[in-house]
Amino acid sequence: MAAADSPSAALRRDLCTRGIRLAGKMRADVLDLLDAYVEQQGLDASASVAAVEGVPLAAVERWDEQTGTQRLLQNLAAYRAFRALLAQMLEEQREQLGEAEAGLGRALAALLLQVSAFAYHLEELLRLESRGVPGEEEEEEEDGPPPPPRLSLFEQKLRGLGVLRELAQWAVRSVRDLRQLAKPSPATGAAPGLAESP
Amino acid sequence: MCFETKERRMKIPIPESSITVTIKSSGTAFATKEFVIHQKDISFAPDTPHILSLMPNFRTSTLNLKWSDNGSDFPYGLDALWQIQILRKEAMEVVTQVTYYSKLTHEDVILSWNWTSDMPLECTSHYVKIRRYINATQFLGPKDWSDWSPEKVIPGKDTEPGESGVFPLDPVVAVGSDLTFCCVHEEDQRITNMTYGSKSYKMMRLSSRSHAIRVLNASVSNSSGTNVVCRLENGLEGSVAFVGYAPDSPQNLSCETPNFLIIKCTWKPGRPSGLYGDRRTTYSLFERTSGKNVSCEVSDVNKDHVCGFPVLPDQKTYDFILGVSNPIGQAQSSLLVDITQRVRPKTPEKLTVTGNNSTSIQLRWFINGSFAEIRLLCQIEITSSHSDRKLHNVSVPGRKFSTYTAELNALHPDTKYQFRVRCSAADHFWRWSDWSRGVEQTTSEAPPARGPDIWRERSPSGESLRVFWKPLSLSETNGKIVSHEVSCHQLETVLERKTVPEPSNSTEIKLGKSDCEIRVVARNGAGSSPPSRITSVELPSDNVTTDQAVAMGNGINISWDSYPNMTCGYIVKWCHSSGSEPCSVDWQKFPSNTTNAVIKSALFKPGVRYNFFLYGCKSVGYQLLKNVTGYMKELPPKTAPNFIVEETSSDSILVKWEDIPIDECRGFLKGYLLSFAKGEKDVLKPRLSESGNPELKVNNITDLTKKSMKILDLQGKTSYQLELQAYTAGGLSPPNSLYVVTKEDSVGLIIAILIPVAVVVLLGVLASIFCYRKREWIKETFYPEIPNPENSKALQFQRNICEGNKTLKTLEMNPCTPNSVEVVETQPTAPKIADTEMMSPAAETTVPEDGSDSEMENHVVVSYCPPIIEEEISNPPTDEPGGSSQVVYIDIQSMYQPQIKPEEEPEIDLVTAAGYKPQMQLSISALKIEGHSPVEEELDKTAGYRPQTNTNAWNMGTPDSPGSVESNNENASFGSPCSINSRQFLLPPKDDEDSPKPINTGWSFTHFFQNKPND
Repeated sequence: MAAADSPSAALRRDLCTRGIRLAGKMRADVLDLLDAYVEQQGLDASASVAAVEGVPLAAVERWDEQTGTQRLLQNLAAYRAFRALLAQMLEEQREQLGEAEAGLGRALAALLLQVSAFAYHLEELLRLESRGVPGEEEEEEEDGPPPPPRLSLFEQKLRGLGVLRELAQWAVRSVRDLRQLAKPSPATGAAPGLAESP
Repeated sequence: MCFETKERRMKIPIPESSITVTIKSSGTAFATKEFVIHQKDISFAPDTPHILSLMPNFRTSTLNLKWSDNGSDFPYGLDALWQIQILRKEAMEVVTQVTYYSKLTHEDVILSWNWTSDMPLECTSHYVKIRRYINATQFLGPKDWSDWSPEKVIPGKDTEPGESGVFPLDPVVAVGSDLTFCCVHEEDQRITNMTYGSKSYKMMRLSSRSHAIRVLNASVSNSSGTNVVCRLENGLEGSVAFVGYAPDSPQNLSCETPNFLIIKCTWKPGRPSGLYGDRRTTYSLFERTSGKNVSCEVSDVNKDHVCGFPVLPDQKTYDFILGVSNPIGQAQSSLLVDITQRVRPKTPEKLTVTGNNSTSIQLRWFINGSFAEIRLLCQIEITSSHSDRKLHNVSVPGRKFSTYTAELNALHPDTKYQFRVRCSAADHFWRWSDWSRGVEQTTSEAPPARGPDIWRERSPSGESLRVFWKPLSLSETNGKIVSHEVSCHQLETVLERKTVPEPSNSTEIKLGKSDCEIRVVARNGAGSSPPSRITSVELPSDNVTTDQAVAMGNGINISWDSYPNMTCGYIVKWCHSSGSEPCSVDWQKFPSNTTNAVIKSALFKPGVRYNFFLYGCKSVGYQLLKNVTGYMKELPPKTAPNFIVEETSSDSILVKWEDIPIDECRGFLKGYLLSFAKGEKDVLKPRLSESGNPELKVNNITDLTKKSMKILDLQGKTSYQLELQAYTAGGLSPPNSLYVVTKEDSVGLIIAILIPVAVVVLLGVLASIFCYRKREWIKETFYPEIPNPENSKALQFQRNICEGNKTLKTLEMNPCTPNSVEVVETQPTAPKIADTEMMSPAAETTVPEDGSDSEMENHVVVSYCPPIIEEEISNPPTDEPGGSSQVVYIDIQSMYQPQIKPEEEPEIDLVTAAGYKPQMQLSISALKIEGHSPVEEELDKTAGYRPQTNTNAWNMGTPDSPGSVESNNENASFGSPCSINSRQFLLPPKDDEDSPKPINTGWSFTHFFQNKPND
């Protein structure tokens, strides 16, 4: 009870709750966008798409053994990747379609905003746990990502499909992760595993 | 010449005509060969050509072949033919072979040839080889093609290890094209299918790693292109095809300048290309004179495309070419314009009103542009609440980014105006600019334009004068009227002055018997109007006539004779009265030369009488000339005239009536209709005029002074209905009715009494004489000395004691009332009870159906004495089983019920249990159970009626059902007892006897009786 009453715990719980709501809304929007995208791009909804490069897979082994920080960091990395990919999709969409299919462009832009907001939300949670938020530029410099290869239009379409599908998966995982984080820790008052996180 | 070589071939110069060749081989004697070669026997085959380069263009699937003609080896001007062969696939199938012509120039020239493949070059390897033929005309011998050059190859992607994909990659083609797509994959992969859009196509094998599909007549793709998908066993490859149209030529290209800074060209793009984004149609505006080119950013969505081109210094004429292109094609449209003649100024801004008085204002506005080279024509729209829209044009010299002004005059004071402005070029009108936003301004007030129209009337006493004026029209008030000033002048002396605030339109001035000149001025916030004048003097008039007038059209026409001495015109005055309010005076003035006028007023109502007074105007005063009574429209009188019967006689009625009040006449009265006919007073009776009574007589009284009428030739003591109606040109009033009975005619009455009395007396006398003369015959006929008993009523028995009148008991031969007993021969085998049954009235049912009348004729009738009926009713026959008790009283139930209780008559128990009592057949039916003889059957047929169903059926009733004994007793209360003479009523009809129907099976008596009334 004491943990539950501490201001930081309450704030974390509040952030988690709002994050869960954001992720739920994001998933609903992604699913809607996925339908529109498949139809507009003339794709087969059942087509299997290879994993999108640069996006950590939502499915992970030993999920329940992960620490809270691990969860937040993985989420943050994924949503930062999604942010970049969605921005690229939006740009490609503008290049290829111009002012046609403006509705799809607007939906993509809206989703990009949601992803950015969710990434910011995750950063807030990480700050709350007194963990440093990994810088994006720093990561890029360290990783030294090569410039993305120029894809054919068909590959762009498939990649877009893969990005949206994976984002939908991540939205589900994020809800579960945040629920896990929102659970009060009986011992420390922190999220489960946070204390032992690196 | 001797040549030495180690090869087996040798080139030697061509001889002039022939040459002897000796081939020797060193070391052997047999190796010598000698022969002669003639020039005509030598064949001419040029050297094999050499392909310099073969360049592929994968985007366009085009091969570019380059080779040298080696012309320096040949004399100038020889024709050269080049045969080029294209081969494809691993098997090197010939795709095409073409012949290319060139002329040798004695120089080495690089020749080039392009070929576009219908198959993407990536799909499979393409090979090219070439040979030549030189038409050496001076060479006598046979000429031949050279050998084929070695093939040059453009390897397909299927030859490159690890290469895969669908080709061509993201092509953009025109609608209707035939497309070939191939799928290059790894050696060990297998293609599941290939689709274009949603349709699967049959694949052609190009190589072990390449398969192709062919799409014919491609239709326009959607905005994101048409996917070409190659499904592999473990993957997916694809390409996106964009099929669209080449750009349409721009239509309606038009250029104009809004400000001499930029030229705006607009056009309609025509048919959409179906291509978007990077593949969209792009536009560029090229000006030929200056050589300047501008790229146009246009929206795909808007239908009207606009492109701006800067106005160049010192250039008036522009020769524009609008170029249009997309990946499929290009088009253009051109326009030559003089920009000074294509000016559509920008919308005027900052419109303001400055300098405002009651009739003029100044407008100021700004136009953002440099119009120094032209004049501007600006149009100002003026609208106000009480005038139509007006347009005012002003021409102003154009200036650079300047403000323009215009003054508007002849406005109306105290009026709210709305203004807006638009401009164009004055000298070469092209188009108006858009309207500026509007501004509102109200002009200031000015004194009323004129004095009000006035009239005056002296009071009946002559002591005061009432002055009337009409309100000024909106266009005359020039502001809000606040009051009227009325003054009375005698020469230059003001006798009285009054200020009357709005909204009064009259005032009273005490004058006494004197006269003065009345002056009235209207006053508003800006000042007073000029005065209106009228004299109070009224000149005496004589011989004033009263005319009648009815409106023709929408006004009442009044005419008068010309009065030369009426120098200042005429005035027609009238009065409007509405209900109880005092009459409001109205008037209209006419010039001196007028002799008629049509008076119109929205206040005139149909059916209302208006009195018009025509005054003539002289310099000294006004004189009444004529009265006119008029109606806007005549209506039927509202009420009927009241009338009474003044006196009646036996043949006449004198009727008198009263005038109808003027208000109820509603028109000029034309006369009365007096109708009469015979008729009694009856509320429901229709009006006489509507009754269609043939005796109806109608008197039309057109003499309006006549107020009575005598109706003659009527019948005495007869009721007459009278109706009186008045009528105008508008129709008949409702009728007023009266009923009058004329007086009795005394002479006729006396005659009517005396004649019947005389006739009766005469008849009496005649009868007496006749009786006296025939008295013997009468005596014998009516009063004989020995009376005939048959004719004696006193000796007649009552025929039907039951139906007989009780009051006749004194005449009955009681205690033995004669009655009839039918004696029927009894059957010797019949049981004793049969006798009883014989005595029952039911036995008489054997008589013919014609009833009691025939009884006397066909049977021996023995009189007997039945007990008194009343006693029989009170004492059931079971109490006295004696002889007289054989007379059985039956009622309706007795048709079905035994008169003897079942326990007392066990023999008939069965029948009794069946719910009814056969009044004669009862015992017979009982006997039938034991043994039914033919005789009994005969008896059965002839006597009474039979059970209508078998008795067993009747026993099926429940103990408490209506069919039980108790129920029977209850049911005995139905119907009234009757003597045997009433049996006819009780017996069923013969038909039922002959064919009894088991209609009562399973049915209760109660039910039967309930249904009886329906029967």
